[in-house]
This record gives sequence, C-alpha cells and structure tokens, in this order.
Amino acid sequence: MEVSSICKNSKYCPIVDILPEQPGVRKKTIFRVSGDGYLMVEYGDKQVFDLMDAFRLFTIMERLENKKIDGVIEYGQAFRTLTIIYDPVKTSYKQLIKELKMVEEEVGSPSELTFKSRLLHIPLTFEDNVTRKAIEYYANYIRKDAPNIIDGHNIKYVALYNGVTVDELKQKILNTEWLIVHQLFYPGGDYQLPIDPRSALEAPKYNPSRTYTPEGALGVGGQCFYIYTTESPGGYQLLGRAAPTYQLAQAHPDYRDSPYLLKYSDRIKYVEVPEEKLLDIYKAVHEEHSPRFRYEIREEIFRVKDWLNFIERDDIKEEVREFEMRKREAQKKVPVP
Amino acid sequence: MQTDYGSLKVLAAGIQAVVEDWPGRIGYYKNGLAISGAADHLSHRIANILVGNPPTEATLEIAGGLFECEFKTDAVIAICGADLEPMINGSPAPMWESLMVKQGDRLKFSYSRGAGFRAYLAIAGGIDVPKFFGSKSTCLWGKYGGFNGRALQKGDELRIGSVRDRNIVGRRLKASYLPRFEAICEVRVVPGPTAAPDFITDEGFDRFYSTIFKIDRNSDRSGYRLVPPEGFFEGFWARKDGGVAGLHPSNIVDIGYPIPGGINLTGNLPIILGPDGPCGGGYIVAGQVLYADVWKVFQAIPGRDRIKFKFADVDEAERSRHVMENFLKNIEFLT
Repeated sequence: MEVSSICKNSKYCPIVDILPEQPGVRKKTIFRVSGDGYLMVEYGDKQVFDLMDAFRLFTIMERLENKKIDGVIEYGQAFRTLTIIYDPVKTSYKQLIKELKMVEEEVGSPSELTFKSRLLHIPLTFEDNVTRKAIEYYANYIRKDAPNIIDGHNIKYVALYNGVTVDELKQKILNTEWLIVHQLFYPGGDYQLPIDPRSALEAPKYNPSRTYTPEGALGVGGQCFYIYTTESPGGYQLLGRAAPTYQLAQAHPDYRDSPYLLKYSDRIKYVEVPEEKLLDIYKAVHEEHSPRFRYEIREEIFRVKDWLNFIERDDIKEEVREFEMRKREAQKKVPVP
Repeated sequence: MQTDYGSLKVLAAGIQAVVEDWPGRIGYYKNGLAISGAADHLSHRIANILVGNPPTEATLEIAGGLFECEFKTDAVIAICGADLEPMINGSPAPMWESLMVKQGDRLKFSYSRGAGFRAYLAIAGGIDVPKFFGSKSTCLWGKYGGFNGRALQKGDELRIGSVRDRNIVGRRLKASYLPRFEAICEVRVVPGPTAAPDFITDEGFDRFYSTIFKIDRNSDRSGYRLVPPEGFFEGFWARKDGGVAGLHPSNIVDIGYPIPGGINLTGNLPIILGPDGPCGGGYIVAGQVLYADVWKVFQAIPGRDRIKFKFADVDEAERSRHVMENFLKNIEFLT
C-alpha cells in the first residue's frame, strides 16, 4: 500500500518496497532499483545530512559483509543510502530485499548501534603557504573579485560565513572528531562530518571551481570537510593543509597494506602543527619513506549510545542552538561566491 | 597450459589503447575505486574465448584506431569489436577468429568507416601486467592499473602470452553470434534510483524515452555526454531545487552510482557513466542501461553517433542478464 502511495502509478517509479517507519528506532526505509544489478536502500524520504543515518549504515553494512549473501558483488554507502551491486544470474532484487529486511529488523534502536571505527591523528597546518599559493593563482588567473578570498586565503571568509573568529573556527575544527561518512567520489576520498554538532561548519563552494588544488589541502563545502588526496581540481573553500593520506608507491610503512590511508567509518582528529613540521612529515613519508613519522592510529568501537548521551545534554543542545543562530545571522550578510 | 611470455612492441599509440580485463576492479566500490574493465564487455569476452583464455583475462582495448604494434614472439590472437580495418603486414586481418601471428609481424589498425569505436585484441596466454587491487584494468584518470596506469605509448613493450597451440587457431565466430554496431543505437534503460515521481516528472520521462540524443565529442571511458535537444528540461524536474544538497534540482545528497551505464544528470547535462566513472556523487541518476546493452553505448562514436533509450522494467532487466550469459555460454564457432 505504501509503495503505490509514493509511486502514484508512475511506471517510471524505481521504488519496489518499503519498511515503514518505527518511531525512535528507524526511519522509513525505501528500496530503490536501477538497471539489472543495482539496489539502493534509503533511510527516510528527506534530503538531509544526519549522522544517525551514517551510524545505521555502518552497522548494517558490517553485518551484511559478515553474512556473505549469495549473489552480492559489493556494497557502497553514502550519507543516507546503501548501494548493493548484485549479480542477477545468482540472485534477484526480491530475494535481496528479503535478506536486507531481516538485517534491518535485527538492528534495534539507535542506542544499540555499534561499529568498528579507527581513530587517526592527522597533523594539520592552518592557512599554510601551499594552499595560499593555490588560492593566489585562482585570484590571479580565474576570478579576481572572488568574495571568498580575504587577505589571500579562504579561512577568514569561512569564519565570517559561520559567524565566528578565525581562532574560534580553528578550535571548532580541532575540538571534534571527524567521521568519514563516504568515499565513493574519489579513490581514498573522505567526506567528513563532525561528531560534535557544535563544530557543524558550513561554506558555499567556489564559483567557478579551481583548476588546481594541492595534495593534502583541507576544504569545506556545504556541510562536509574533505582532504584532497592528490593534486586535483576542486570547489571547496580551503582552510589549510593536512599530512599526506595517499601514496601510490606504498613505500612508507603505513601504506604497506593500501595506498589509501583513510577509509569510510574512520574518524579523524586534527592536530595542529607548524608548517615546518608539516613539510618535514611530507618529506619523511614521500621522500624518505621513513618510519621516523608514523601515523597515530587506534582501532576502536564506536558506540552510538555514548554519542546520543553527549548530544542530548542540555548544555550541548543550547550551544548548538546558539551556533545555528549565529550562522544564520552571519549568512544574511556574507556574499556567496 | 604452461604459458611462455614474449612481447609486443607499440609502433604507434593511435587514438587510445589501454589494457582492460573483465569484469574490472571489483570489491573497492565502497572506497571510490572505479570498476574500470572493458567498455564493450561482450567483444572483449568473445575475443578471449576465441583464443582459449578465461573471459576475465586482459585484452587491449583499441579506441578510435591508428594503433600499430609489432609482435616480438609467435602468438595466437583474436581481434573483435569495431572494424577498425586491421592489417597484418599490409594485408587485411580477419576479425572474430583466432589466428597465428609470427615473430616480426606487424598489426596496424586504420579507423572505423562504419559503426563501432573500440576493437579488442586478445592474445592466447593473456597480457602480463601487474594486478592493482585485484585487476589488470587501467583507470586513466586515476593513473593506476594496466600498463603503468596509462594508455600505451610508442615504444612501450608489453609482455604477452606466447602460445603455439594449433588447436586454438582458426576458430571463427558463427555469423549469427556477431554483435551489431549501429550509428543510432537503442538501449534498454530501467529508471532509478532517483526517478519519478519524486525527482523527475512522468512528462520528463516520456520525453527521456522518446528523444534521440546526440553523443558529445567530449566523451570517453569515464562517461558519454549527451546533447539534449532544446527545451528538453521543460517540465522535467519534479523539484524546484536540491534542498540542502544545492541550488539545482539535479543536486541530491550523495548516493552510490550504478556503473557502468548509470545516466547521471549533472545540472542539465546527461552523462552515461562509463566503466571509469565515479562510484558516487551528488547528482541524480535517472536510470541505468542494461548490462546486456551497455556495450553498445561505448561502441558509439563520440561526436557522430546517436542514442535512444527504450523503457524496461526491473524484472525484464534481470531476465536479460540470464539471456546474455546463456548467449555467451552457448556461443558457437566454426573450426
């Protein structure tokens, strides 16, 4: 009954099944198809960035991967949707939905969700000279009057856009852990959202976009943070530069298993370092391949219950409300590129 | 079968020649690694079957033509896919059949005078390049996999199988099994995952399925860009903007894309995602071309050919995969 009420008799409707909402436990869960080997599970029917969706996805995906369902080729998840790529010779979307529903029913209320999540300390230099040069190039050759460049960098603009000082902005970045919610767009890419809602910073994107972004640049666009793994074009406002997170040669000990340091469900804790220190880390990792710099990585289990207890504290809620108001006020006055 | 290796020397790089296997780089979608693999998986697989390789083995995908190489070893080869008028030592080389080449033989491709854009060169014993994340396929923009993460260049020497098994020479594909390439191709598309009625109107989809799109010349293994006719997007979008995801109604909170063959709408530009396309992003995907048809898309000549979508539902689509796999299983040769 639910499917037909959403599809409204359109033969072009890709929704094939729905699990109804269970208030306090899970959102309405929508199953969408495409082609002949693609199934997507969507949480809720609203376009939102909600960490709770990501937590549920990580929990569900971990269970699915352990279950090894016949005919599934692979999974991918992004913010609020889970993708299943399957072989229709071995299974069907109908069969898969049965299996998926079982897992969805198994996983109870949000407070019961847990998933494996590594915590990585990533050195970061704010407003460094390498990103400054890239921004300077943009100002000289692409857009002279870009309102998002103040004193040759984007960091002051991002502070203004969020109604905070540059120092407050830095503290907001350093005080939280950043969860990698998906990396589908680029190998080893890392779309990050803050665990602490008081650090929910925002920024509009470049207009037009940059043709060049240096390796390691830390950017913010929309409500997401992102480290550029390699030199590439880009549209996020740059804040500084982080340590490398990619090495194709796999010569440094922390890249033995994979050229990509970060993976979805990891959390990043940024540690501010002076620029000389950052450049020395680049040298140790990329030129010397030396263990004199090792990334600090801890294997942990993320318990959503602890997070809920934290964000539901009255003092935290009050600070979040206040910050949201500051942002809305500031954005009325700050021009968009 | 014990494989000895010899080599193949590139004399002319041509438009683009890349090492690709099948089904590509599987298992790393969630980490953002493109699936890659042969763009025309059908011709690729037939070429491998002809020379006795498993269909998963790498072949050379030769796009556009003008590629030339010299065999530094005796080898058994098969050329399938688009007719780029291959010549061996100046004489026309047969296609869709396994044949022996001798050390010193030169294989030269011209270009397509009819329909079809990509030829596949399979070599018995395969192509010996290191696997990167489980696959020999090249991802061009990622600069990894295949031969040094790039298209072949003049002077490159590629290690290839050197099989002298007479039993596999002279196998010819029966004519009824030959794939047909057309300058206006029609491919079946199942709508989704972001389709009607919440993202695109029924009116928009009616037009989507009745339009013949020109393929933009700026098309490659990452994606085939389509040129929508004037007025195509009138009454098309079901939303006026993308909400938190952006100003344009094609913006959504990022999803995993169906690859290959997902039809991505980035602003008002439709792109059919290729094997090297991104695993996900923040734009609507209106539908996916069936796997049994997707090879036709990437045999279209950019800047010249046209494409039309035909509606299919998901049950029909799943059945089409069985039909295609059975077709390959039962393929017949004349010997």
